[in-house]
Amino acid sequence: MRTTLIYILFLLANGMVYAQQEHRDISGTVADANNNKPLPGVSISIQGITGEIIADESGKFNIRVPKGHRVLTFSLVGYQSRDLVPGTDGFLSVSLQRSNRQLDEVVVVGYGTQKRKDLVGAVTKINPADTRHIPAGSFDAQLQGKAPGVQITTNTGVPGEAVNVRLRGATSINADNTPLYVVDGVFINSSSLQTISTGGKSTSPIADINPNDIATIEILKDAEATALYGSRGANGVVLVTTKRGSYNQKPKITFDISGGSAWAPPLWELTTGPEHATLVNEWWINTGVDNPSLNRNYANRPFRPKSEVINGVAGRGLPEEQQTYDRLSEVFRTATLQRYDISVAGGNQGTRYYIGGGYDKQESILKPISFDRASLKINLDQKIGSRAQVGVSNTVTRSYRNQGRAGDGPAGGLLQAALHTPTYLSPYNDEGVPVGRAGFDNVSLLIDHYDVNSRSLRYIGNLYAELEILPKLVLRSSWGLDYNNYDESEYWNNLLIAGSPSGLATSSITQNSNWVNEQTLSYRRSFGSKHAFGAIVGNTLQQSVYDRTYLEGRGFANNSFTQIASASAVSGTQSWSKNSLASFFGKVDYSFNDRYLVNFSLRADGSSKFGDNHKWGYFPSAGIAWRIIEEPLVQRINAISDLKLRASYGITGNQNGIGDFAAQGLWSGAVSYEGAAGISPQQLANQDLKWERTSQFNIGLDLGLFNDRLSFEFNFYNKYTRDGLLQLALPSTTGFDTYWSNAAEISNKGFELGIRSVNIVAKEFRWTTGISLAQNINKIEKLATPLQYGSRNLILQQEGSPLYSYWLYKQLYVDPETGKAVYEDVNKDNAITAADRQVIGSVWPKLFGGISNDFSFRNFDLGIFFSFQYGNDTYNHNRFFGEGGGARDAARVIFANNLKRWQQPGDKTDVPRSDGVNVNNYLDGGSRWLEDGSFLRLRSLSLGYTIPKKIVSRIRFENIRLYCLASNLFLLTSYSGPDPESSANSSQNQPGIDLGTPPQPRSVQFGINVTL
Amino acid sequence: MKKLVNSISFFLFAAALFSCNKFLDVQPKNSVSDEVTIFNKASSEQALRGVYNALASSNYYGTGFQSIGYLSGDNVQWTGSQSQVQEFINHDVSAENSTIAGAWSAIYQVINRANNVIAKVPSVVDPQLTDAFRNQLIGEAYFIRALAYFDLVRTWGGVPLITSPTTSPKENSGIARSTADATYSQVISDLENADALLPETTNRYRATRKTVYALKARYYLYRGQWAEAEQFASLVINDSASYRLVGPYNSFFAADARGTVESVFEIFYNGTTEVNGHRNQWQPQTNGGTRQWAPSPALLALLSDPVTAGNRTSLVGKDNQGRWYGNLYYRNPASDPSWVIRVAELYLIRAEARAQLQNTAGALEDLNRIRYRSGLLPASENTSDLLLLAIEQERRLEFAFEPHRWFDLVRTNRAITVLGFTDVNKLLLPIPSQQILVDKALVQNPGY
Repeated sequence: MRTTLIYILFLLANGMVYAQQEHRDISGTVADANNNKPLPGVSISIQGITGEIIADESGKFNIRVPKGHRVLTFSLVGYQSRDLVPGTDGFLSVSLQRSNRQLDEVVVVGYGTQKRKDLVGAVTKINPADTRHIPAGSFDAQLQGKAPGVQITTNTGVPGEAVNVRLRGATSINADNTPLYVVDGVFINSSSLQTISTGGKSTSPIADINPNDIATIEILKDAEATALYGSRGANGVVLVTTKRGSYNQKPKITFDISGGSAWAPPLWELTTGPEHATLVNEWWINTGVDNPSLNRNYANRPFRPKSEVINGVAGRGLPEEQQTYDRLSEVFRTATLQRYDISVAGGNQGTRYYIGGGYDKQESILKPISFDRASLKINLDQKIGSRAQVGVSNTVTRSYRNQGRAGDGPAGGLLQAALHTPTYLSPYNDEGVPVGRAGFDNVSLLIDHYDVNSRSLRYIGNLYAELEILPKLVLRSSWGLDYNNYDESEYWNNLLIAGSPSGLATSSITQNSNWVNEQTLSYRRSFGSKHAFGAIVGNTLQQSVYDRTYLEGRGFANNSFTQIASASAVSGTQSWSKNSLASFFGKVDYSFNDRYLVNFSLRADGSSKFGDNHKWGYFPSAGIAWRIIEEPLVQRINAISDLKLRASYGITGNQNGIGDFAAQGLWSGAVSYEGAAGISPQQLANQDLKWERTSQFNIGLDLGLFNDRLSFEFNFYNKYTRDGLLQLALPSTTGFDTYWSNAAEISNKGFELGIRSVNIVAKEFRWTTGISLAQNINKIEKLATPLQYGSRNLILQQEGSPLYSYWLYKQLYVDPETGKAVYEDVNKDNAITAADRQVIGSVWPKLFGGISNDFSFRNFDLGIFFSFQYGNDTYNHNRFFGEGGGARDAARVIFANNLKRWQQPGDKTDVPRSDGVNVNNYLDGGSRWLEDGSFLRLRSLSLGYTIPKKIVSRIRFENIRLYCLASNLFLLTSYSGPDPESSANSSQNQPGIDLGTPPQPRSVQFGINVTL
Repeated sequence: MKKLVNSISFFLFAAALFSCNKFLDVQPKNSVSDEVTIFNKASSEQALRGVYNALASSNYYGTGFQSIGYLSGDNVQWTGSQSQVQEFINHDVSAENSTIAGAWSAIYQVINRANNVIAKVPSVVDPQLTDAFRNQLIGEAYFIRALAYFDLVRTWGGVPLITSPTTSPKENSGIARSTADATYSQVISDLENADALLPETTNRYRATRKTVYALKARYYLYRGQWAEAEQFASLVINDSASYRLVGPYNSFFAADARGTVESVFEIFYNGTTEVNGHRNQWQPQTNGGTRQWAPSPALLALLSDPVTAGNRTSLVGKDNQGRWYGNLYYRNPASDPSWVIRVAELYLIRAEARAQLQNTAGALEDLNRIRYRSGLLPASENTSDLLLLAIEQERRLEFAFEPHRWFDLVRTNRAITVLGFTDVNKLLLPIPSQQILVDKALVQNPGY
């Protein structure tokens, strides 16, 4: 054990010289300034010499200081560092002040680390340990509400599917709006490789990363922080640092095992069979009243006695004779969740390592969907002498998904079959054969025969070498690779719609590799006691290659044959794409007197995607910070423990998400006729296509009060995007519908506030509160022609409105006399036409964030975390289908809410009369189905118990913690669907439309964490 | 040591700085630059196949445009959820209707591809490209362009006339609509060009001079030039070695039939790389379709009446829930042809033209050819007015699921009477609203 002093001084190189000269031995103790208890683990370094020693368990240390060096630095996470000069007696008694705010916390920024106090940009650091048990496939989905200004919308209850992550709003219509994800220096792919249809949804490539392997997540938000990522930084950067071992650490083995269940929140309320029949009869008769020529009346209503045969058609039985079939409970289940993680970390003088393995299996509450992931992580660093170091980071993951269509679309649609099928229709026909109704699949057949799955094999790795060429001048070179083999297959037998009449099998193999090579040269030095200077220059080369092969077979002899090889008709296709990016960057920073900080950086990027004259973009940024706390005037105010003002301005670029050959004029060869090859114009050239540029101004204030017991971090930003990449609509008379251009301008402005408060620190009780709060106001500043998106053009992008504005007919009321829905006649032409659609509501919340409260009492810890969104709307498209007032008859379910329809003069309701002549009563795009999507969600509730050390050490364990974690147990919302975050489509231009999507589950899990 | 370090760093930076231009020059593999496209015999042929491919696209003869023709009639009911389908049935089509939008742009895509062939093939220098073959390629392009403008004008009225290929975003936009007459003039002019260039051969999947005759017959019928309609219909009908009715009715489509002698022009789909998605709308779920479009009760009544249906009952079938479905498009994989012109149409064109020309005996003879083929007793109408009504009814059933009913009722001014709506503006469909937004030169049809 660490009973004796541990030397980890690396006195090679410079040090060797000194070792032969005079030196002095200093000893001493380190204690907590508050209670004078000894502090173990404090690291002590000699200023001017690389390396450190660690104080032992009783806070004692002993260090040999070479001549010419005087100042010792004492630092420990959670405490304020101190620089001290030992007295002549060679003994030092040191006390360290606790630092709640952790001004000295190390924050990973672009190409380096910084202490929090030296930050000029807006950076949020997240400890993923708090959230990694929330049942979601990907770590980004787990972060909702954790970081101010990061809006995360989990639009489905399917684990491992893509979530919307928007950092300070959205900047583009057709280029990508997701942040750049950097894992251990590798710029990883965050666009789904899914090619099979799951009703508009797609899988998340981020789910290939095991959250348990992540040490820290830093979110870089403003232009200063993202500057070095230049062209990739416009949507912010998520820096993921995985766990590494420590030098001179005994092997530390950690097990973490948990398991539990997930179940659905309250689901949709549907009409019963008799209610459905009553509404259909009412619609029938009303239609006949409105249009007598249709000859519809009580006598020939659809739900009349079976014995009444009219024109050869028998009645379907009286309403009260109808059965009610519950399909929802057949498709939803109590899902099981399991997770196993094991890791070993440690190191000796020159080597440190981390090996982690994990297996995670999450069933969706919607049968038959599930997600499982097995991962292996190996990180290794090796020092070579005192001036060089090499290391590798490796992640290998296999994610396996049982998939199902949980979104839009009839064939194979799980909730179409289970939710949208009328409840009165039997799942069997008259012969007792299971049949799909209303154009959807039979639920039982669907669940039993679903065979759609994908296997993602992913390697994310990085190899680096670092060399201190001259003192303080460090050269680093690294090669990174993100390789993903994404293998999908479907088999639909002839009992399912998609496979009728003779089966369909598909197989798609997609390979995507991104490699990145980087060199940086960095220099950092202090001049005297007042000037500190740092500089970095570097370059990056990146290339991304996409390659897909697809095969499909139809016509199988029978359902026993499931491989394409047995199909009678086979067809295939292949696609290939590639892009390159070359970048050069540099940054200088200077601080004076630890009080005034100035940064400046510039990045140049060349992209293969743009026209010859516009390949290169230049992205500068500058930032300043003033640590007011260092001003004598402020230091006199005892209440203020930290005060810093920050400001930055910069320009970042975006080219992600556009076609790799967007600027080129192209002809396609994929247009055959009579089975022979043809060619045709495919895309118009735009040699002027260039970088989308986002300028961003940020002003921030950091304030700590009462010895940092209460701290605030406030940011205000104003982003403006020019030359927005857009598939600009062309008149079809050209023969083309769109061409790539730089045509849009979009602004985002808003604020972010993070509050952290240590409410109570008593001897055995501690209570802290964290609040994140943000607002983003988005607006399309310039767009020549409006663009329509989504099913039934529910979304409109137009100049002057926010992105993704709902474009609807505004229902004013239901006329109490006639029962007709009355819409706002915008153009006053006494008719409701397309010209009367208007922008109503917003998919953007007015405020969003989270509130966490953490308590600890003796060995118990309790965490309660709420996330919320306020002021956004969700279009309840399920309800649109379910409130057709009987007009869809046997083709659609009717929601219970439809029973509130207008029936007779004087009825006051917002649900109009059931009728088929005035189709406006269930108009596509009516505002009746736009609902307030605000919510307050109990995102997680965790309770832990750490077994007392004396018991644990008796069985030679270091730590054992038992815990229980619940998620989503409580949801406060006025939204009438099960989940206001649901959205049918993963594509970025159609959020906020809830259709056929399972809600996020409620769950409880129990787990144990053991450290040996 | 220092030297080593210096040389390593020099090497790394040199490696990084290597020819960036080369690194940043990435060319596609699935497409080619538009600078060199139509330059020899093979690429000329391929470009023409590209035109046919566009004609076959899902928004044109693949499904979309065709559906406008029959959904707007009275043969089809809607069982799905998309009210844009119901809009056709209700004769109240919104300018935002997605079928309309898709068809409009698909047709202009055909025109642009045809314009490329018409503009570039004449100047191709390739010894293997004979004049006759060159003429044939250009003639086919002219024919397809004629068909495209014909479909545009009968659906929307006069449209912008585009006759040169688009090479930059600035070209071929901002062009005002021509009159309907001018658009029809473009059609006939293209047909005359095709007539002069094409050989008089038989090909049911591609245009020949005889295909041009057939479309001319239809063109003159729409223009009320009865003598010419009769003349060109006869040119095809008289070529009975190549073109004749097959019986019973379903012989031209059942049992995977394609390219029968009944067919004058049909679009070919192989079901794999060329898919006709039509079946998905018609077939029941047990056949892998959605049955969103189903035969209307009125049509079912006609098809179950022995006086009107005959063996045309084979157009419909019943699924395992006792529901009727249309069975013209049924093949799996989806390789049903899209029939553009059948000999049956030429008989009915000639019957109508003859009735208009007061040749009631001739008209009745042609009409009864069609009735006989379907196993019906001969009709006996003896005035041209009665004959015209009988022909109208015959066309309704003969082309129950082919795109004729709406256009027939509109051209004969019978739509309002037969279909029971009031707004005369609805006889022309709206220009897609997105087009009006994008192109300021486009003027919407009245009433939308």
